[in-house]
Amino acid sequence: MEQKFPRVTSADLRVEVAGLRLRNPVMTASGTFASGREYAGFIDLSRLGAVVTKGVSLQAWAGNESPRVAETASGMLNSIGLQNPGVEAFCARDLMWLSGRDVPVVVNVSGHSLEEYVRVVERLESEVAVAAYEVNISCPNVDEGGMAFGTSCAPAAAVTSAVRAATKRPLIVKLSPNVTDISEIARAVEDAGADAVSLVNTLLGMAIDAETRRPKLARVVGGLSGPAIKPVALRMVWQVARAIAVPVIGVGGIMTGEDAVEFLLAGATAVQVGTANFVDPTSTVRVLDGLTEYCARHGVARVSDLVGALEV
Amino acid sequence: MSCADLDAGPHPLLERVEVLANDRVGAGVGLLALRAPRVAAAVAPGQFVHLRIATGSDFLLRRPFSVHRAHGETIEILYQVLGRGTRELADRARGDVMDAIGPLGRGWDVPESAGHVLLVAGGLGAAPLGMLAERLAARGVAVSVAQGAPCAERLVARELFESVARRVEVATDDGSAGEPGFVTLVSRRLLETERPDLVCVCGPEPMARAVAAQAAEAGVTCRVSLERLMACGIGACLSCVVTTTGGRKRACVDGPVFDAGEVCWDGAEVPPRH
Ligand SMILES: Cc1cc2nc3c(=O)[nH]c(=O)nc-3n(C[C@H](O)[C@H](O)[C@H](O)COP(=O)(O)OP(=O)(O)OC[C@H]3O[C@@H](n4cnc5c(N)ncnc54)[C@H](O)[C@@H]3O)c2cc1C
Ligand SMILES: Cc1cc2nc3c(=O)[nH]c(=O)nc-3n(C[C@H](O)[C@H](O)[C@H](O)COP(=O)(O)O)c2cc1C
Ligand code: FES
Repeated sequence: MEQKFPRVTSADLRVEVAGLRLRNPVMTASGTFASGREYAGFIDLSRLGAVVTKGVSLQAWAGNESPRVAETASGMLNSIGLQNPGVEAFCARDLMWLSGRDVPVVVNVSGHSLEEYVRVVERLESEVAVAAYEVNISCPNVDEGGMAFGTSCAPAAAVTSAVRAATKRPLIVKLSPNVTDISEIARAVEDAGADAVSLVNTLLGMAIDAETRRPKLARVVGGLSGPAIKPVALRMVWQVARAIAVPVIGVGGIMTGEDAVEFLLAGATAVQVGTANFVDPTSTVRVLDGLTEYCARHGVARVSDLVGALEV
Repeated sequence: MSCADLDAGPHPLLERVEVLANDRVGAGVGLLALRAPRVAAAVAPGQFVHLRIATGSDFLLRRPFSVHRAHGETIEILYQVLGRGTRELADRARGDVMDAIGPLGRGWDVPESAGHVLLVAGGLGAAPLGMLAERLAARGVAVSVAQGAPCAERLVARELFESVARRVEVATDDGSAGEPGFVTLVSRRLLETERPDLVCVCGPEPMARAVAAQAAEAGVTCRVSLERLMACGIGACLSCVVTTTGGRKRACVDGPVFDAGEVCWDGAEVPPRH
């Protein structure tokens, strides 16, 4: 495997998020890394802070029609629609595989209804390989559930408390950027028992082919990700980190170690790498090496010293 | 299913590749030769590489291209210039480097029992079929080719087919070479006269579907290569799904070559270009 940066091991990279002790702050973003198997030939998964799985629902979901992706300026739109084989198949195939990889597993949970979120978590409670849950109340690509839970305070809090009641494991709630005031939603899920929040999920967007006068996605609208959304994600992480006491996990357009540093400075305790995995399957470890190199260059002893260290 | 099954198959490689040559070979068509020792050694007909044509955050996704030929440390790619990515590709010159993930996907698996194979190529669909024709001929399998394109200038790899196949028949939309009309005219006739044991198809989806129907009528097994928009190319993002009788499958790892019998033609192909 090519290594762009020398591996510097001097800085203490450990962070604690939602009660989870991570060897470093670099996690994968849900839906961009499957369950890691596809990437195992490119990187050593045990170097990652955590693997966050693709969203899992109670039964299998078929997802949306194709085309499901469209490239846009500095980003991409997707309307996958949470296609997944359901929690039973997930446990038998993905979780079993992941459990031997020496990396904490965060299971991303989806649901069409409040009850479905709870039942997925209940099914996963007996699985020792699960380190934490990330509850997705922010997917813009499904008609029922998904983002509908994440765009106003009451339903966001309701899902959070229902899942909270079903588990003692660390509970991360993934927030949608498609709201007027994200701090308000963050406060609501914090009050309802979330141990951490991750943000942002994709921004609702659209692309049109002028020649054919048709939308580029079969579903017409989809979620925007990649470098194009990084300024929005950074701003939201900064706002939310000042509004709540529990840790924030920063996601959105992270391609390099420097991008990760920016999220930490804005107040994130950990970061997730998403779309970058499609561009370069070694992106996660490249981000980690870049972060390590930054710490060495700036004499940072503990990566946690960077969290919220923005100088304004 | 056991864990061992899930780990089956070699992992694709991430390889730095170097441009050896990049020449125009037809109307808007380029032939790119890359030094890619590891991919070249492992690739099978019908597999593809996911090329990072340019870097920088304003050019994000890789582009998938079939391997047209592989010999020694070299792979060749035949590409049609369409949009930004392929325009940039046309600008690459000898000595330039980029990175490639490959070989990816499942290609044409041709059983030992097949003594005669009919290849049906539409447009740039000739790209992966070139390698298949060469490898089959080297194995002593009889190869016939039905090839179609909009015009004579777009009949790519025709010399290659003529050098290894026992029969090549062509059709062009404008009649500038072979029969005027669609390749399906030719494939129907070759199915009758040549009586192949297997049909391998690559081209626009409506054409692939029509050939699959002809093969089914003739009672011959047919394997089609399908295109989908791809983000990761390695099975992780689910952007490239094909609807099959066995559910939605990923074109990048479960395909791009599928048994025509399992494909539910749902109109989800890459939209045609204008
Ligand atoms: C498995 C596979 C093998 C292929 N083999 C070849 C080949 O051998 N020769 C060849 O010329 N072309 C091949 N293609 C099509 C080729 O990938 C596209 O023509 C190319 O990606 C267009 O890029 P662009 O930037 O020029 O076009 P743009 O339209 O600007 O690209 C925009 C986006 O759409 C995607 N896209 C556009 N057209 C297609 C398409 N037909 N299929 C998949 N994605 C597309 C691009 O990858 C990009 O993400 C293959 C496609 C697949 C899926
Ligand atoms: C193809 C694709 C699939 C995704 N699937 C999920 C998912 O299942 N659950 C989820 O919470 N987020 C999902 N996301 C959102 C990402 O996890 C992430 O929040 C978003 O893409 C922004 O980060 P990025 O710019 O680094 O990609 C998906 C994103 C993409 C691009
Ligand atoms: S392109 Fe990502 S799964 Fe096929």
